[in-house]
Amino acid sequence: MRKGGRVFITGYGIITSIGKNAEENLQSLVNQRHGYGDIDILNTAHSHDLRCCEIKITDEDLRALARAEGNGLTRTSLLGLVALREAVQHAQLTKEELNRSGLLSSTTTGGIREFERDFFNILDLDRRGEFEQFADTAIPGDHSERLAGQVGIHNYVATLSTACSSAANAIMQGAALIRSGRLDCAVCGGSEALSKFTINGFNALMILDNEHCRPFDASRRGLNLGEGAAYLVLESEARVERLKKKPLAILAGTGNANDAYHLTASSPEGTGALKAMRLALSHARIDARDIGYVNAHGTATENNDLSEGTGLKRLFAGELPPFSSTKPYTGHTLAAAGSIEAVYSILALQHGMVWPSLNFMSPIPELEIHPATSLIRNVSIRHVLSNSFGFGGNTSSLLLSAV
Amino acid sequence: MQGKPLIYINGTASISPQRTFDGSFLSEPINYTGNVLTCQTPDFKAYLPAIQLRRLGRMLRVGLTASIICLRNSAITTPDGIITATGYGFLEDTERFLREIIERNESQLTPTHFMQGTYNALAGLVGLSLHCTGYNNTYVSKGYALGSALDDAIIQIQDEPELNMLVGAYDEAVSVQYKSVARDGHFKQEQIDSLKLFEHPTPGSLQGEGAAFFLLSGVQTSQTICRLTGHYGLFQPTADELFNELESFLSAHETTISDLDLWIAGLSGDVNRDQTLRSLADGALSSIPQGRFKHLTGEYCTADGFALWLGANIIKKQSVPASIMASSLKAPNKLRKVLIVNHYLDRNYTFYLLERPRA
Repeated sequence: MRKGGRVFITGYGIITSIGKNAEENLQSLVNQRHGYGDIDILNTAHSHDLRCCEIKITDEDLRALARAEGNGLTRTSLLGLVALREAVQHAQLTKEELNRSGLLSSTTTGGIREFERDFFNILDLDRRGEFEQFADTAIPGDHSERLAGQVGIHNYVATLSTACSSAANAIMQGAALIRSGRLDCAVCGGSEALSKFTINGFNALMILDNEHCRPFDASRRGLNLGEGAAYLVLESEARVERLKKKPLAILAGTGNANDAYHLTASSPEGTGALKAMRLALSHARIDARDIGYVNAHGTATENNDLSEGTGLKRLFAGELPPFSSTKPYTGHTLAAAGSIEAVYSILALQHGMVWPSLNFMSPIPELEIHPATSLIRNVSIRHVLSNSFGFGGNTSSLLLSAV
Repeated sequence: MQGKPLIYINGTASISPQRTFDGSFLSEPINYTGNVLTCQTPDFKAYLPAIQLRRLGRMLRVGLTASIICLRNSAITTPDGIITATGYGFLEDTERFLREIIERNESQLTPTHFMQGTYNALAGLVGLSLHCTGYNNTYVSKGYALGSALDDAIIQIQDEPELNMLVGAYDEAVSVQYKSVARDGHFKQEQIDSLKLFEHPTPGSLQGEGAAFFLLSGVQTSQTICRLTGHYGLFQPTADELFNELESFLSAHETTISDLDLWIAGLSGDVNRDQTLRSLADGALSSIPQGRFKHLTGEYCTADGFALWLGANIIKKQSVPASIMASSLKAPNKLRKVLIVNHYLDRNYTFYLLERPRA
């Protein structure tokens, strides 16, 4: 047995444009319902031309859903709190257990949505008003400390930000803290709200598709942004045994690498992608042939899918297991994508299903690889790889196994 | 049970509001009068190619240069992993992109400031410059950002002692950060001489910035600066909790207060927010020679990076700069154990215990 024993997943919570809890997300995946459409809640000039996967719940209604208390809770914090409350309830963590747990949460831009809205008010120190509660909530560490406070986590709080691989790294570090003995329970994930900042940033990089995205398709032209949050409860093997808990899945392996190719583009050889997946496999001591499903990063940018697809082909030496990207359902939720897709991977393990890639018509000519395009049911999946890659060359891969 | 491997700091670098890049070790401290302290920088041309100098924002240049100095000091070409820590990240770039979005009504934007404003831009850039495909991560945990980055690096070294992990912390003092926190009284109302920070027992501190890098490994080398015996973080402790946690932290590392040769206090000069830490200074640690540093750097989320650089080099040089000494107690000639206790806004507290390695 590996040092520190195994790390189990005992609960999860999730909110995306296809559902405000795990059950709703599952039903949407099974019925192939996506969340892509006009932007109604965020006030932006691009509400019709750069459609996104927006959660159609106002901040006010999110506050009620999240049972939020106090001021200064940004949409990022509120989305996070909805998912976090579901996760800790799912794992049945008591107040005392929460107090001794850790929270590792990620975000790419914290509360920039409120910061951009109140920008000129905040910068004019003579102005006072309601906006003041959001004067200093753009700092990414703010949301984690507030979330920890709302649910009563006190032992350890950390915030990560590695662009689109952030939540995978939060899960990875939570597992590392458990294996090292620093924590015996870590709640890990990420939260991301849509903002003008990210929509315009990705638009300036010219990697947004103004139609519904098409991962791994020859005609793909870019990604759709989304918003959401998801958290996983990780517990040590010793504690799960002591409390006789029934774990939902095993976090069997993790891999983190860097592509070291370009600040915002992936290498054509899939260097970082391949390395992260290999590290996750060797960490878990599992052979690539035993992988039953790959939840790909699959953003549908020309660059990512070619790079990741090349990495997948190299790893599986031509015999690819069923793979898909769930980005067309939720959009690219950036710092939340890693934990949202980890939940989808666990749902695949639990229900023996492979979620189909939407909008796929014909393969990328250089690769000739075909994602799953219709729901596969009643398959026994033992191991799933979930990929998350990001700007800065960050590549991470999680290996989740059935119990 | 087999003991955990020791952690060594085998290289350091600091770019700060003092000339910390030229080896002078705070002998001629620089005074600031505007309540904002910004970095004294080396000639970047000695470290960065001209093309990078043109393209990169100020703090990316500072951070990248600090990483290069650290690697040179540790005689390491390529580390096995790169982990950075920051509170606010590259806020200047973030603000510039935000302003463009608003002023141009979300059209005709260029992505440069968006890309350079990403929190992991420095970790990615260091990886890219070094062609390092190894571990790469970025923590943004406010006043525990450096602490969580070190947690990550050290867990990995404890599994594989021969790893060389590059850990860096940075924050920049920019106007938008000042304004976003000024209403909460983070900064002094009255203009003061920064070097006289502790003579002003009023609310608020000074705005500061800096970048600090460390090369950590489980293997002692000829470059070794000191041992990082332990570190620990806690959130919003009461004075009693802070004392109890410090005692258990020290005892976990087989150390008592009387073993300490020097402690470095992260007092910020804010009469209100310093109260908890002052309870240690006036109580349990009152008999230990005390150094301070925020009159040299100002206050920022990752100011503990400067303190760690300072403490490590005090042990390496076996000499304490006069400009940091706060107490009339003189530090002993032999400096074996140095403790750092920092706080950020009386919320995030961090302990670091440094030790002179065996020769």
